[in-house]
Amino acid sequence: MSAADVLAIFSGALTTLLMAGAGILLGLPLGLGLALVRWANTPLATQCAAVYVSLLRATPLVTLVLLLFFALPNIGIPVGPVSAGVLALTLNTSAFNCEVWRAALMDLPKDQIEAAKSVGMRRGMRLRRIVLPQIARVSLPGLISEMSLLIKVTPVLAVVGVVDITRAAVRIGAETYEPLPPFFVALAIYLPMVFALVSLQRWLERRQTRIDAPA
Amino acid sequence: MSSPPDRAILNVAAVSKSFGSLNVLKDISFEVARGETVCLLGPSGSGKSTLLRCINWLERPDSGRVLLDGEPVGMSTGGVVMGDRELAHMRTRIGMVFQHFALWPHLTVLQNVMEAPLHVQKRGRDEVKAEAEALLRRVGLVDKKDVFPARLSGGQKQRVGIARALAMKPSLLLFDEPTSALDPELVGEVLAVMRDLAREGMTMVVVTHEMAFAREAASRVIFMDQGSIVETGHPEAFFSAPRTDRAQQFLLRYSATPAALPLSS
Amino acid sequence: MIHGFAIVWAERGLMLSGLANTVLLSALAGLCALVLGALLSTLLIRPRGVVQIATRVFVDAMRCTPFLLFAYIIYYGLPTLGIRLDNWSAGLISLAIYHMAYMGELLRAAWAAQPRDPIEAGQAFGFSGLSLFRRIVLPPLVLTSAPVVGNQVIQVIKDSAFLTIIALPELTHAASSIQSRHYIPFAAFISAVLLYWMLCLVIEAGVSSIGRMAQARR
Repeated sequence: MSAADVLAIFSGALTTLLMAGAGILLGLPLGLGLALVRWANTPLATQCAAVYVSLLRATPLVTLVLLLFFALPNIGIPVGPVSAGVLALTLNTSAFNCEVWRAALMDLPKDQIEAAKSVGMRRGMRLRRIVLPQIARVSLPGLISEMSLLIKVTPVLAVVGVVDITRAAVRIGAETYEPLPPFFVALAIYLPMVFALVSLQRWLERRQTRIDAPA
Repeated sequence: MSSPPDRAILNVAAVSKSFGSLNVLKDISFEVARGETVCLLGPSGSGKSTLLRCINWLERPDSGRVLLDGEPVGMSTGGVVMGDRELAHMRTRIGMVFQHFALWPHLTVLQNVMEAPLHVQKRGRDEVKAEAEALLRRVGLVDKKDVFPARLSGGQKQRVGIARALAMKPSLLLFDEPTSALDPELVGEVLAVMRDLAREGMTMVVVTHEMAFAREAASRVIFMDQGSIVETGHPEAFFSAPRTDRAQQFLLRYSATPAALPLSS
Repeated sequence: MIHGFAIVWAERGLMLSGLANTVLLSALAGLCALVLGALLSTLLIRPRGVVQIATRVFVDAMRCTPFLLFAYIIYYGLPTLGIRLDNWSAGLISLAIYHMAYMGELLRAAWAAQPRDPIEAGQAFGFSGLSLFRRIVLPPLVLTSAPVVGNQVIQVIKDSAFLTIIALPELTHAASSIQSRHYIPFAAFISAVLLYWMLCLVIEAGVSSIGRMAQARR
C-alpha cells in the first residue's frame, strides 16, 4: 500500500466523518421533536411518531439507504449518494434519539412542570427553561452512545457509491490484490473515534451518578 | 371594580371532580377571606390535595367555579376554558408549595427564587435579586443562595420552596402537605416559617397532617372526608369538641400521643 | 406503484427465500452469540488476570469496531489463513463472533445487577451445583435480561443486512435484485422494510411476554 493509498483512505475517512457529523446534527433535534410529540400525547401525531420510530428502529441502515437512493428519484426527488446517505443516517438516528429523549422525559418528576405552571410559566417557557435543561443532562450518555453507533454503521454508505473509507479500502484492495491491509488502516481510523465516544459516555455516566448523590 | 374590604380572596363554588369512576370531590363550596389561614384536614383519600390543586387549576374541575379576588380561574365568565396565557396570568397571583419541594435542580437556590419574577413577571434583575435575597434571609437560607438544591436537606429545600412562592408576591399561598415528605426533626423549621407568614397576615390554604400546627396557626379548619366538607370551624372548637362522628373518629386516630401509651418496661 | 407491488408479489419466491436466509442466519448467529456470550461473561466476571483482561480487550474491541469492516476482514482474511469459506459461512461466523462480545457484556451487566440474597438463600436450603444454577440463578437472570437480549437479536437481524455487500442472498439482497431487474425500487425496498419490521415486532412480542412473566413475579 503506497502513501497515495493511505491518503485515499484518509480522505475517505473525512467524507465519513462529515456525513456522520451531518447525521448527528440533524438527527438530534429531529429526535427531540419526535419525543416531544409522543410525550404531548396529541391524538394523531403521537401514533404517527410511534409508528415512525418503530419502523426506523427495525430497518437496517443499508436497506434504508438503498430505498432512499433508488426510490426517491423514482417519485421525482433527485438525490445523490451523499444526500441519500445523510438522509438515511438522520432518519435512522432520529428514531433512536427519540427513545433516549423520551426516557428522560418520562423520568422527569411531574411536580417539576407543576411548579413551573404554578408560577405562571407558559408552555414554551416551561419547555425551554425547566424541561430541556434537565432532560438534556440526563439524555447525554444515551445520545453519545447513539453517536458511536451511528459512526459504526457509516461504512455501509459505500453501497450507494459514497466514496468513504470502505469504498477506498475495497478499491485499494482490488488494485493491490491485498485486501486486508487497507481494511486494517480503516479500522485504525474508526476504532479510536468510537472508543473516544464510548469513553466520553462512560465518563459522563460516572459524573452524573456522583452529582446526583445526595448531600 | 373596587373590592369591599371584607370580600373573600378565594371563592370556591360547587367544585366537583372525578377520576374515571372515582368521585373525588363532591360539590365543594367555601370561601377564604383576606388574611385567613385555612387548614384542610382529613384522612387519606378525602380529596384535600385534589381540592387544593383545583384552586390553581393544576387539576381541572369537572364542574363548579373558582374565583380569585372576584376574577375567575381556569374558566372565564362565558364558560369557556381559559387559554394558556390567561391561566398562566392568574397563576402568577397564586403561590404554591409542593409536598416534594419541586425545586428546579439545574438552578441554584437564588436562581430558583429569581426565575419566575424575572422571566414570567419580567421585573428588573437588580430589583428581583434584592428581593430574592431578602426572602432567603427571611427563611434563614441566604448563606445557601449559590448552592444547588441537591446539596440541601429536605427542610432547607422546602424553605426555599416557600421563598420561591413568595417571590411572586401572590394574593394567596397554597401548601400541599408541605411537611409530609420531611424527616421529623426537619418539620419544625418549615412550620416556623409558615407560622410567621400566618401571623403577618398572608392568606394561606394549607393541606396538612400536622394537627398541632393547625390548632395553633389556623384561623379556620375545614375537615373533609370522602370528597365532601364534613365540618368547618374555629380550630379550638374543632379539636376540643368536634360536632360530627367522622371528625371525632379522625381526631381519635391522630391524637394518640406518646403520653397516652402505656409505659412498657 | 400498485403495479410495483404486484411485481414484488410475483417475485415473492425470491423475497421469501431472502427472508428465510435472513431468519436462518440471524437465528443461528443469535443463538451462537448468546451461548458463547454466556461463556464469555463467566470469563469477564473473574478477578483480574490474563484471561479476564484478554476477554475485556476482545469485548471492548468488538464494541468499537464497525460490523461491516469486521465482516470484510473475516471474509478476506480467512482465505489468507488457508480457510476457504463460502460467503454464507463467513457471514455467519462474523455475525456470531461480533455479537458474542455484545451478548457477553450485557449478560455480565445483568449478572452484576442481580441481588445475591436469593442465591444465598438457595444455598442455605441445600441447593448446589447444577440444580442451584438451573432453578435459583438462571430464572431471574433470564427474566431481567430478556429485553436487552431481545434488542441485541434485533441488532443481529439488522447487521445481517450488511452482508448483502458480500453478496449473501439475504432479504436486502433479494429486494436489491428485484429492484434492479424491474426498476421498482419503492415497492421492492418498502416490502423488505415491512418484512424487517415484522421480524422486529415478533421479537418484541416475545420479549413482552417474558416481561409479563417478570412483572407478575415482581
